[in-house]
Amino acid sequence: MKPFIGITMGDVCGVGPEIIAKSLMDGAVHALCHPVVIGDTGALERARDLVGAPFTVRTLASDAPLDDAADPRVALCVDPGLSVGALPYGEVRPEAGHAAYEFIRIAVDMAQSGQISAIATAPLNKEALHAGGHLFPGHTEILADLTGTTDYSMMLATPKLKVIHLTTHVGMLEAVRRITPERTHRVIRLAWEVLTRSGMASPRIAVCGINPHAGEHGLFGEGEEELKLAPGIAKAKAEGIDVSGPWPGDTVFFRAMRGDFDVVVACYHDQGHIPVKLMSIDEGVNITVGLNGGLIRTSVDHGTAFDIAGKNIVRHESLIAAIRFATELAPKEGATKRPRTSP
Amino acid sequence: MTISRPPAPPPTPLVVTMGDPAGVGGEILAKVWRRREEGRPGDGPIPPFFVVGDPDWLSSLCPIHLLDDPTQAPSVFSRALPVLPERLANPVRLGQGDPENGAAIIRSIERAVALTAAGVASGVVTLPINKHVLQSAGFAHPGHTEFLGELAARHWADAPHEPVMMLACPRLRVVPVTVHMALRRAVETLSIDRILTVARITEAALRRDFGLAAPRLALAGLNPHAGEEGRMGSEDATLIAPAVATLRDEGIDARGPLPADTLFHAEARERYDVALGMYHDQVLIPIKTLDFHGGVNVTLGLPFIRTSPDHGTAFDIAGRGMAREDSLLASLHLAGSMARTRAESGI
Repeated sequence: MKPFIGITMGDVCGVGPEIIAKSLMDGAVHALCHPVVIGDTGALERARDLVGAPFTVRTLASDAPLDDAADPRVALCVDPGLSVGALPYGEVRPEAGHAAYEFIRIAVDMAQSGQISAIATAPLNKEALHAGGHLFPGHTEILADLTGTTDYSMMLATPKLKVIHLTTHVGMLEAVRRITPERTHRVIRLAWEVLTRSGMASPRIAVCGINPHAGEHGLFGEGEEELKLAPGIAKAKAEGIDVSGPWPGDTVFFRAMRGDFDVVVACYHDQGHIPVKLMSIDEGVNITVGLNGGLIRTSVDHGTAFDIAGKNIVRHESLIAAIRFATELAPKEGATKRPRTSP
Repeated sequence: MTISRPPAPPPTPLVVTMGDPAGVGGEILAKVWRRREEGRPGDGPIPPFFVVGDPDWLSSLCPIHLLDDPTQAPSVFSRALPVLPERLANPVRLGQGDPENGAAIIRSIERAVALTAAGVASGVVTLPINKHVLQSAGFAHPGHTEFLGELAARHWADAPHEPVMMLACPRLRVVPVTVHMALRRAVETLSIDRILTVARITEAALRRDFGLAAPRLALAGLNPHAGEEGRMGSEDATLIAPAVATLRDEGIDARGPLPADTLFHAEARERYDVALGMYHDQVLIPIKTLDFHGGVNVTLGLPFIRTSPDHGTAFDIAGRGMAREDSLLASLHLAGSMARTRAESGI
């Protein structure tokens, strides 16, 4: 059975409604899943007319039963009724910021009640979000707040490479400081959990080193690999997880793409982002892993692009990729497993 | 697109050092020589080269021709591998480094540089050595490159010699501003002076040896998103930005600090001729991910041309026929092209 995937509209003044309308026209999306838009009906209809899509929009309440015999010519839209569909494209509007927040809140409710299996998010505008009264740096922090999560990680995925991060948006010195055996162990487990729940039998996890050549046995570095990474790896191994490393950064990503590993644990932002964006600038998907309740959220890797919103020139490949990974990583029936020993 | 004519060979042959004969060097050398007639688009056939190495070892790998005079190398190259003899103390045992052979390995490097200094060879291509084997034979240098720097000082007393490592493949050139040190130490020792030194040497080399009239340098930011105005580390604003401003004042086409994660995809690569990264993995990850087998290690900042394969001796697979010759092949092509360009530019 195809899963229901929630697609949040993000900021209606940006390119979100357009990429959603284009994606709903795309047979690939309907082959993967049953898409459910969580957004504004008016904004979706306006975008549909802009891109020349043939579907009609059926507005639903968030608790309405979903029908798995859904017709691809009818777009399902869960709409909180904030009537933001006529706001001008390309402008920062507090109403749009508040609506973007509400779309996410509803999506989390729907995921928690089991109506949808995962969430793919269209971009929001941070300035509008703040003007709308929601003082979060971005999607990830909103989702963490709504699910009561404190310990999560960013995964980047392309068809050939998945990377999960020990640290992300901090300076390099701070990143090295923040890496601990506990964090290493936690992120290995997060990777293991998301992949096993999605149906992968025994994911092979590789941990990348911090220093050049993974420290080359203490030649480069102050033993960070031994102090910060190795104990976390050993603990995960003892729990029955197939994890190896620390491996040299310059070869581990090539090896993963060749098929040696299913996911690489990167120590810091650029270490994981460089290989992913090098290979697939259009196909890279950002995934928040570790949200309470096993909620999977995937995101497009671009912003609201106010400068081109409403012009029908935006590309929607990134949203298709986000929907693809939401489907792939959504928890599957009967796939929930435990490693040999619990943590 | 211009119509290309087959490039002329470099003015004199290249010289290849023996490297550690217990490693994969001999195997890849013989594989490359067998492919001597093959061209690469825009490159023509492999430029003629000769090896300073042990005749017994090399003759077990492919037909060789012993040279009295290295200038004969191009005329015999199509029939046999031209060899200038440098005899090993002991027979080669593959996979087992032999310190007693260290002296000959080191002499091969010294002679290759001396022949280049004398104008007999137009550039040096080094096969991998094993530092641990050579150190037990009394080799006191941290690595190959540092040793070459010392030899440069011996032969070119007045020329500057500050070795800078560049890695090159057909789709990307990268230079790490800091190399083999801990990440934390790389951040702590990064300085405006170091960035300027590396950038200036890189720019000069791209003009002289790569035929670029106005090389475009892209400097990667150190921190995520190039620091995002100091929110994630201060070094992008305090070190890299001022260095870029100074370089631009000097007339160098430098840009940065640029977010490193979006610097290496195909479209971004069109906008520069070389990317300078602030630490080892920042540039090694993209080039090895893009071209795992064909990367070349080029030493800039020496008075002579030097390239080498970007892998080691690989004792574990030596003699098993598994080693790929792509990187050595690319090293020879690139050294030949650099020698040609340097001769034509006359700088």
